[in-house]
Amino acid sequence: MELKEYYAGVDIGSTMTKVVIMNRGIASAIIGPTGAEQRRLADQVMKKALKEAGVSFDSLIYIVATGYGRINVPFADRQITEISCHAKGVSYFFPESEMCIDIGGQDSKGIRIRDGKPVDFVMNDKCAAGTGRFLEITADALGIKVGEMGEIALASKSSVQISNLCTIFAEQEVVERLADGVALNDLVAGILESLAGRVSNMVKRLSVPKEIVVTGGVAKNAAIVDMLSRRLGCKAGVPPEPLITGAVGAAMIGKEIVEKAKKTGVKPEKKRRRLDKVKIF
Amino acid sequence: MAEEKKRPRKRRTATVAASNIAPMVKESITGTLKAAEEGKKLAYSFICCSYDEILMAMDIVPVWTENYAGICGAKRDAERFLERAQSLGFSRSLCTYALCGIGFDQWREELKEMPPEAPWGGQVRPDFMLSSGQILCDPRNKWYQAVQEFMPDVPIFNVDLPYPLYEDDIEVSDVQDYYIRHITDELRGLIRFLEEQTGKKIDYDRLRELVDLGERTWNLIWETYELRRAVPTPMGTGDAMNTMVPMVFMLGTQEAYDFFMSLNAELKEKISKKEGVVKDEKYRLLWGGGLPAWFALKDFNYFNSKGAVFPAETTYRMIEPIYKLNMPDTDDPVERLAWRWLGYWTYWYDKAKKRPGSHPDVERLIQYIEDYRIDGIVMHEAFSCRTWHLSLIWQVNQLQKIYKPVPVLVLGGDGKEKEMQREIPALILESDIIDISSYSEVETRSRIDAFIETLEGVKGRQA
Repeated sequence: MELKEYYAGVDIGSTMTKVVIMNRGIASAIIGPTGAEQRRLADQVMKKALKEAGVSFDSLIYIVATGYGRINVPFADRQITEISCHAKGVSYFFPESEMCIDIGGQDSKGIRIRDGKPVDFVMNDKCAAGTGRFLEITADALGIKVGEMGEIALASKSSVQISNLCTIFAEQEVVERLADGVALNDLVAGILESLAGRVSNMVKRLSVPKEIVVTGGVAKNAAIVDMLSRRLGCKAGVPPEPLITGAVGAAMIGKEIVEKAKKTGVKPEKKRRRLDKVKIF
Repeated sequence: MAEEKKRPRKRRTATVAASNIAPMVKESITGTLKAAEEGKKLAYSFICCSYDEILMAMDIVPVWTENYAGICGAKRDAERFLERAQSLGFSRSLCTYALCGIGFDQWREELKEMPPEAPWGGQVRPDFMLSSGQILCDPRNKWYQAVQEFMPDVPIFNVDLPYPLYEDDIEVSDVQDYYIRHITDELRGLIRFLEEQTGKKIDYDRLRELVDLGERTWNLIWETYELRRAVPTPMGTGDAMNTMVPMVFMLGTQEAYDFFMSLNAELKEKISKKEGVVKDEKYRLLWGGGLPAWFALKDFNYFNSKGAVFPAETTYRMIEPIYKLNMPDTDDPVERLAWRWLGYWTYWYDKAKKRPGSHPDVERLIQYIEDYRIDGIVMHEAFSCRTWHLSLIWQVNQLQKIYKPVPVLVLGGDGKEKEMQREIPALILESDIIDISSYSEVETRSRIDAFIETLEGVKGRQA
């Protein structure tokens, strides 16, 4: 019998808006476009997700918003941080996982997980050099697509070291190195190593287990996942669609909130929802 | 039309005592200006240098330069002084207290009067400067040397105040006599310098009385802060960032003693009424180090709004009871100051030796975690304070290696005790002491939200 209880998770990140609708499994998952103006239009992403799942907005039992744009989502019942949502989302794809590294467009974080909940975390939201933004900027400087970087780097035999810690100066450095005749493969491998080095140094505080899960847009880059695995001395898994991990977790947390409320008889925190544009700060 | 400067709204405090601090600080700053008019001798001074009572015994008015930089930061008016120091060639990554002070002093010396709209009337020109060769903080040597460029007529006296660095195979008792001799000599050298500068001899009987009073205050502070072990805690770190004023700027004064008597009474009353910092205390946190972001003290209120309180902190708690510091009986007040200095800094050494992989700073965290029933640690990594803040991450790493998870006995639903693993999550906040350009309220509060959710998860598992 088809369950009629649908939950939604909305993850508004710096570059992508992700909406996931779940019942027994993932009913629909939509990744919205990038950019500040589009971010306001997260309601449009939600409408697409509803259409794909074939359910109405009112039939959503609970909606949880996450990501750094979570605060002013008029169609969410509750806001939960990305840390909790990623922990939960990772446990959906890898139930035994004890650690997640999420590298998004604007930040990167390491989360120690137990029973689908965070027990500790570290975060870099101060410096672009440890985030997907670093890849976007350097890819742009090299005239290649971010999505191609992993493949280009895998063909490298000897990566070069990017010495600048600052993204802006690193951008200048890669252009100069390219002009010096350094092979593109080696240069891109150096860029990815630089990012992997920063992130792995950050997460070491959490005592890394034997297996980790990498999420976020950067997890699509197989070379970086491999570098993280090598640097941290552990196996690294990636969800089938790493970008939606937070949104999946948000939907699952929504489900847990409702289930807990049923058990305790205490009504869950709910807002008057409007499927309307998001106010950005 | 001139843009009207936005003034930060007053922060909410839990105790009446803490709310009384701002006028006290203001009075102390304006007091230095008045003292200058009256011809009293003024000394640029650093906190926690063991010379407070000596200055008082000689009627010298200390001008706490770190305090003034902190005030500029708290009033969100440090930027113009930082920029001025930067324009003089000082790197923005240096200690921002020092940069603020250097920028201010250069401006004051250039104008031959206070910079326009200087917070609380400004920082007065000193007669001499007392720097300190502490292991703790290198700007304590360099800051005053730098401002001497603008005030070449103002002499500096450097007081060397070392303590033995921790080694797990070195006994403090083997080396302490050497350190005490050296520190005592340094303090006597300071007294000679002050006597030359003021043209009068120190009154040792008066110094002895002041050291007595300082020690009584010291013990009273410890007793008062220990009251914060109560559940719910009656006072948090937000308030302690106010009540540090009489602790570190006024030790040896009757005013400081009276202040802590009054705070002590207030906390006892709150405990008897079960009146906590927040109505529903959910999480007890340890402020595990780092100076706070003075311009963002309201973040403590934000923690409170989530049911989180800070019953203890390692910052500005340079106090353990005198009777625990292994001080020998001596009637020499200068020696007593030296023993107090050494006793405090080496207090956790023996404890650290007993736990493999530990360190005095880590041991101190462990002591507070246990004494104050702490659920999580929050630290602030201020980028410009290298000496202290760089080691914070190491302390958390080490703590988690040797102390996490903590086995605790919990009474289960069946009435039987069972062993649980208590996690101590840590949150590292990142910004600066007074450089507001390093701070993002949105990011900071997002981290706090995530930390609170983490604590919720950890506590939920223990329930």
